[in-house]
Amino acid sequence: MMFMDYVWLVPLIPVLCFVIVGFLGNKMGPKAAEGGFLVIIGTAASFVLSLLVTLEYVGFIGDGNLYPNAVENHIDWFKIGIYQLTFGYYIDILSCLMMLFASFISTMIFTYSLGYMHDQGPRQRRYFAEVALFLTGMLGLAVSSNLLEMFIFWEIMGLCSYLLIGFWSFNHPEGDDKADNAASAAKKAFLVTRLGDVCLMGGLFVLFFAMGGHLEYNVVFNADNLAAAYENNSEMLTLASLLIFGGVIGKSAQFPLLDWLPDAMAGPTTVSALIHAATMVKAGVYLVARCFPLFALDANVMLFVAVIGGFTAFFAASMAMNNMNIKKVLAYSTLSQLGYMFLSLGAGGYMMACSIAVTGGQIVIEEPELFAVGCLGYAAGCLHMVNHAFFKALLFLCSGSVIHANGTEDMRLMGGLHKKMPKTSITMLIGTMSIAGFPFFAGFFSKDLVLDVVFEVFEESCGTEEMIFIALWILGIVTAFMTAFYMFRMWFMTFMGEYRGHHCHGESPKSMTVPLMILSIFAFGAGFALLLGWDGVFTFMGSEHSEGQILQWIVGGWDRPNVGVHWLEELFTNWKTYVTIVLVFVAVAIAYLMYVKKSINPGKFSKDGQSVLYRTISNRYYFPELYNQFSWKLGYDVARGVEFIDRQIIDGSVNGLSNAVVGSGDLMSKAQDGNLHTYASVVLGGVVVLFVAALALFYYGGVF
Amino acid sequence: MDMNEMILPMLILLPLVGAFLTLLMGGKRAKLAKLVALVFTVATFAVSLLLMITPVGELDKFNFTADWISAGGLKMSFIFVVDGLSILMVFLTAMLEVLVIAFSYKESDRPNYFYALLLAIEVGLMGVYLAADYFLFYIMWEVSLIPMYFLISWYGGPRRHYSAIKFFIYTHVASLVMLIGIFLMVFQAASINGVADFSFEAVKTALNGSPDSLFQSLVFILLFFGFAVKMPAVPFHTWLPDAHVEAPTAGSVLLAGVMLKMGSYGIIRVCLEALPEGAKYWQYVMIGMGILAMIYGAYACIAQRDLKKMVAYSSISHMGLVMVAMGTLSEIGIEFAIFQMFAHGLISAMLFLVCGTAGHNFGTREIPLMGGIAGKVPVYASFMMFAFMASLGLPGLIGFWGEFGIIAAFYQWIEPKDLIYLLVFCLLSLLLTAGYYLWAMQRTLFGRLTTKIDTDHIHDVDRVEAVVLGVLAFAIAIYGFWPDLALSYLADYSAYVGGLI
Repeated sequence: MMFMDYVWLVPLIPVLCFVIVGFLGNKMGPKAAEGGFLVIIGTAASFVLSLLVTLEYVGFIGDGNLYPNAVENHIDWFKIGIYQLTFGYYIDILSCLMMLFASFISTMIFTYSLGYMHDQGPRQRRYFAEVALFLTGMLGLAVSSNLLEMFIFWEIMGLCSYLLIGFWSFNHPEGDDKADNAASAAKKAFLVTRLGDVCLMGGLFVLFFAMGGHLEYNVVFNADNLAAAYENNSEMLTLASLLIFGGVIGKSAQFPLLDWLPDAMAGPTTVSALIHAATMVKAGVYLVARCFPLFALDANVMLFVAVIGGFTAFFAASMAMNNMNIKKVLAYSTLSQLGYMFLSLGAGGYMMACSIAVTGGQIVIEEPELFAVGCLGYAAGCLHMVNHAFFKALLFLCSGSVIHANGTEDMRLMGGLHKKMPKTSITMLIGTMSIAGFPFFAGFFSKDLVLDVVFEVFEESCGTEEMIFIALWILGIVTAFMTAFYMFRMWFMTFMGEYRGHHCHGESPKSMTVPLMILSIFAFGAGFALLLGWDGVFTFMGSEHSEGQILQWIVGGWDRPNVGVHWLEELFTNWKTYVTIVLVFVAVAIAYLMYVKKSINPGKFSKDGQSVLYRTISNRYYFPELYNQFSWKLGYDVARGVEFIDRQIIDGSVNGLSNAVVGSGDLMSKAQDGNLHTYASVVLGGVVVLFVAALALFYYGGVF
Repeated sequence: MDMNEMILPMLILLPLVGAFLTLLMGGKRAKLAKLVALVFTVATFAVSLLLMITPVGELDKFNFTADWISAGGLKMSFIFVVDGLSILMVFLTAMLEVLVIAFSYKESDRPNYFYALLLAIEVGLMGVYLAADYFLFYIMWEVSLIPMYFLISWYGGPRRHYSAIKFFIYTHVASLVMLIGIFLMVFQAASINGVADFSFEAVKTALNGSPDSLFQSLVFILLFFGFAVKMPAVPFHTWLPDAHVEAPTAGSVLLAGVMLKMGSYGIIRVCLEALPEGAKYWQYVMIGMGILAMIYGAYACIAQRDLKKMVAYSSISHMGLVMVAMGTLSEIGIEFAIFQMFAHGLISAMLFLVCGTAGHNFGTREIPLMGGIAGKVPVYASFMMFAFMASLGLPGLIGFWGEFGIIAAFYQWIEPKDLIYLLVFCLLSLLLTAGYYLWAMQRTLFGRLTTKIDTDHIHDVDRVEAVVLGVLAFAIAIYGFWPDLALSYLADYSAYVGGLI
């Protein structure tokens, strides 16, 4: 134990930055870029510390051994009745991954923000304070040792997203309409995620009592405890899983709670990058990965996760196909990629659920082959999360650079920017190729692993599930095609052809382009991390004693050495991989013909934007409309009804009654006469009469 | 006499003396009034701090007993007791008194009466929370009522007379019904003890010694009605929004912060401790009324245009949570009912200070008239947002733990009964709460800058207001981070009451 003991500093450093910049920042003066440097240094320190912790955990430094179990440490927090709640940290490879990419990407984004926000004056202080708190939420969530503590950080992120999406909700530099828009988007983001959060909170209660008053990871996800709770009352565990996943749907913007994320583009672009890449939406993926042992007890829960993910992947991609706003295209692509992650986790989990059985207070693996597929699904989902963090941060920051230089988000007013801003153009191309799944780019490895898992699950399952999984696989393939198309459509429209805008400042300053270059290295190369092997690194929860270590299976490391390389081998010897590669190239070619060569007119397919499908997609399937109607009817209309009951029925009858009792006139005029004495004497008389009556009653009743 | 025994009477005597002294500061000495008031409330607060640093197990060394009336088989005494239930309420009262007196330092209309009334309210409140004799309890209950009536009707808004009289009649009718209940209870106990001893202990021992469910359930509902109006529970709540809208800011803070808690305090102290059989009989009614108040209050908030009225309805909604918690009759339920009373005391105080500031500084509290003022008054906007976030139960602040514990208790109660769907109501109320607060913030702080009020002349919070709000915000945050600071007082007491039932 060297650095592991200090892991609590990882979330603590950003919160200190928040306090210093937020409360004392006005004394720091404008030279320190309104506190930005402090936040960047703090974030970098967090990153270095999480890197050291990770290296220690995997045995690279320290005593040179991989920790067999997660490292957990806690202090007593408070008691609910007889149940003790704790506060602590819990480190396994999943926590390490989250800490690493969150703090690294945040460092990049904050550095970039120095350039991006430099014209915001004193507002920069608020910006840097809030992003520091945001990062605290994410890092805290990653190292939490129980679900309740996790929930607190989860909600802190919700608050920060509200503050940052609404960063320009007053005094917007581009006018009042934008300010209104930002205010409404912030509210929507908070409320929609809150809808998920109350589900999650409900799930925590169900789980808390189902597990005998525990929410600590090492108790709740212990295989023996899970088995015992499952045999006791499996329905409660299923209910808890579904409710927790409800929270995930809200936070990670999955169908049907996905509509807040495109609106959230009202915030600064750097905030979008933060929300989409390093924090917030990744929390949902983390939670599913963290609760994997719980979810995997019920195959139907996992099936639900997979279906929601697969459908969202396709649904969101379809909305990106014809969008003209560069940030919105990226927003939909995030939804779509998150869908892939849930598809992978759900499909893998489904397989895992099928392969285990609970008998005699133990979880027994009946079919190790299927279990291994499940592990692969888990790993693929996590890998895609990390890869996506890199390329999505890159893409958003590039789009920010473009917007910064052009002063618009509308791609129809861009074009030909490759010559004017070559660094942005090249880095963005790398990001685009990565997300589209060009061979050897980061996105390619993880996305094809995901599709591979889904196909294997299809092969192993039967009946209705077989149909569902083949449908999900086809959706996944089609989505890959669509992704390649709309991402290259975006890149071509922005950087190729003729310039259609009014004015472009040219390339962005160094503080912005250097982070882009660093990120593009990772967006390209992160996939090669598979070559490191990863033997025994991805682990689930274990139980205390060795016989019961059923869920502590080492993903893929399962009796195959050097599993990462094994995956790579499988990836390239698989016909399905080549199908997707071909589809991707076809999609890119179509986009090229449409938007660069202009030999295909895209308007032909949509009757120049008049077809029903086109308009449905442009209106986001009328989802915002539906939300509005829903909240208006169930919220405001009911509220008006309640108000009516309050004023007319309750108050009306009380006033009527008092008039009848007191006699003449209404209460109002009576009161304005200042006729308190009447009331007081009536009341006082009442007391005396009652007292005497009660006394008499008991006296004659023979009490005394 | 032992020094310790004088501590609790001091909590009542200090504000009482202070009230009389302040009253004398009329005319030319008006400037001294707030100073005198401040000195006496700070002294009271210091005494309450002494209680807070005493280990909760040793609190009974402060018990004070003195004979008062003892004639004709009647025995009424001065008994003051502080325990796990009352200590947080005493602390809250003392703290809020200091803060509201500091906050209303600008009061210029007959300041001596104003501050004297505030101190007189403190006398009543302290008395209610400390009394351990039913007669004394009732007297103190009335004592807290009268100065509040005058505070509203003298210093209130345009409809103050209507609101004041409505407040007075509602709470007075309720306390009469309560009085009947007290008499029935005491005389029933007397038929067992042989002497009509009004002390809590004597009545409780007698009634619990020979439980009579029919009698207990009858008396329970009388007392419960008396306390529930004060809480207030739907449908006996309409006095509250009117009183709040018209009351001066200081009055609203005390009314919401500590006076409403008299109702729930009474239910726990009297109804649950002395009449556990009755409580079991009426359990479903309590739960039902609690859920109704939660949902109804939250919906009513959405429809409000006046910021202060919205906050008033939110109090109804949050006190509904307390009702649900008490209705579970479980250890966790009672623990978190008290915790939520404390939490809501801090949060609602901050909320009403924020709304009051809007009235003073912007000249209006109408939500539709505001908009985009966050850019003009950033400090005010931060406090408002903090208070709203605390009230909607943001984890990490004190309000969340109240809600969390209460829903946990509720879940513990419904789960074995196969009533899990009832959990939906709790979760719905959380969602609605977030909804009305965020909508209100969107319309007041954010969006385009309003043209309906004169935004050139609105001003941000001044230094005193900022300090007062800052203290409350600090308390909300620190208790939210480490709820054990408050919960540690409650564990023994809630286990004891849970054991009675």
